[in-house]
Amino acid sequence: MNCSKIKTSNLDFFYKDHQVLSQVNATIPENAITGIVGHSGIGKSTFLSLFNRLWENIPGAAIKGKVLIRFSGDREQGFCDINAPDFSALELRRAVGMVFQTPNPLPMSIFKNVSFPLKLAGINRKKEVNELVKRAIKACGLWPEVKERLDKRASILSGGQQQRLCMARALVMNPEILLLDEPTSSLDPASEEKIEQLMVDLKKKCTLVMVSHNQDQVKRICDHVIELGI
Amino acid sequence: MNRWGERAVYGLTVMGCAIILGSFAALVSYLMFKGFTALNLSLIFGSTPMVDALFLRREVFDGIFPAMAGTFTLIVLAVTAAVPVGLLAGIYMAEYSNAFTKKVFGFLFDLLSAIPSIVVGLFGFSVILFLHKHVSEALVPSLIVSALSLAFLVLPYIVRTTQIAIETVPQSVRITGIALGATPLQNTIHCLIPHSFTAILGGVILAVGRCAEDTAVIMLTGAVASAGMPHSLFKGFEALPFYIYYISSQYSSEAELAKGFGACIVLLFICAALFTAAALIQKKARHILLYTR
Repeated sequence: MNCSKIKTSNLDFFYKDHQVLSQVNATIPENAITGIVGHSGIGKSTFLSLFNRLWENIPGAAIKGKVLIRFSGDREQGFCDINAPDFSALELRRAVGMVFQTPNPLPMSIFKNVSFPLKLAGINRKKEVNELVKRAIKACGLWPEVKERLDKRASILSGGQQQRLCMARALVMNPEILLLDEPTSSLDPASEEKIEQLMVDLKKKCTLVMVSHNQDQVKRICDHVIELGI
Repeated sequence: MNRWGERAVYGLTVMGCAIILGSFAALVSYLMFKGFTALNLSLIFGSTPMVDALFLRREVFDGIFPAMAGTFTLIVLAVTAAVPVGLLAGIYMAEYSNAFTKKVFGFLFDLLSAIPSIVVGLFGFSVILFLHKHVSEALVPSLIVSALSLAFLVLPYIVRTTQIAIETVPQSVRITGIALGATPLQNTIHCLIPHSFTAILGGVILAVGRCAEDTAVIMLTGAVASAGMPHSLFKGFEALPFYIYYISSQYSSEAELAKGFGACIVLLFICAALFTAAALIQKKARHILLYTR
């Protein structure tokens, strides 16, 4: 098994008075696809939102325990507590991409959707932006389908294309971790197959954590499974 | 609900739309019927040649051109003053206020929108009288006082429509920017506002319409029957609603009354032109912001 990328230790999550997660201790391996499974309402999506601190935007939410991530490259410092007061949520979200259940392209052009995270990070040099956008779209196998219509609305794409566009958008910042919340649940079987293949390709350079209700999908592509609520 | 119930509800909804459209058609037809004969260049420019009037070489004394220019300037000034403040307050209400301030400020904005325009006019008049007495005698009821009073009148519409437009952005869009590393401010500027453009424009259009039609405010704060073209912000001005009110209350012949109806049609056209301009600006801005590399 690959070395660990993410660790949670004695993790509790509360939404107002309701405890959603209790004492979760989990390890997620690097360059692998980890499936988060469990019955409905057990807190799978909530668990995923702890890795990019998206839970902080839920009013009344609170956590106890630790989420530790081992970043590589410039960020390498061993395991970091991502909830430490001096750890920037913005930096974290640029290193940990996320793809949601329903494709959610923003109401702007295909190009602008993918370049959006670069703009947020202050990367404005046209040549660099063009190169990074092209690379991200190619990595998601979408380039031949959109290269002639980059300035068209993203909403003209099919559901499966939109989801790959969202993956390209999440990948444009070259994240180390990609979180996927039931990424194929709203797609047809052909699109589902493309996304699964893409995920398998991506694990060479990225750690993927996926919530899924689909047991067959988990068996097909996941290298590691965390079952919540047992 | 049974089949008859469904049909009844459908019928009533269609009837609601038909009543509104019918009333609008009746209004426009009546105006056209009464004012069509007066609708010519002499209504607008009087005895002054059109080119001379348009290039401000000669004053127009017996046409509504100065009133048209006055109304247009008034609307542009009032909306220009109200839109930035209204947008900022709307963004504050939607994104930064807590439950308490949202409730209190929301109540106050609703209260403000319910204030009769004559009261706002009286307030503007009182303020300028106070300033005239205590600050400078040069401060008198004028174009700028009317514009600011009107801006005050339309602010609640812009605040509330902006607030509702931003608050109703779907959670999926709201969280997308945040998940991609946007700060709350970046999320508001790059995701929430562009997504709410069309709805925010609704508030601006409402404000334009209100500025164009309101007579009570401008009567007390700067509009006069005869002032010529609006050359200064600090002097009285002519305005179409005031002209229409003046003619309809003091006309001496049918031809003069027809001029009043003609002025109504012109006012409708000015409003339609401003609505179209606002929609085009919104469309262009949206295109540049969201689709141009």
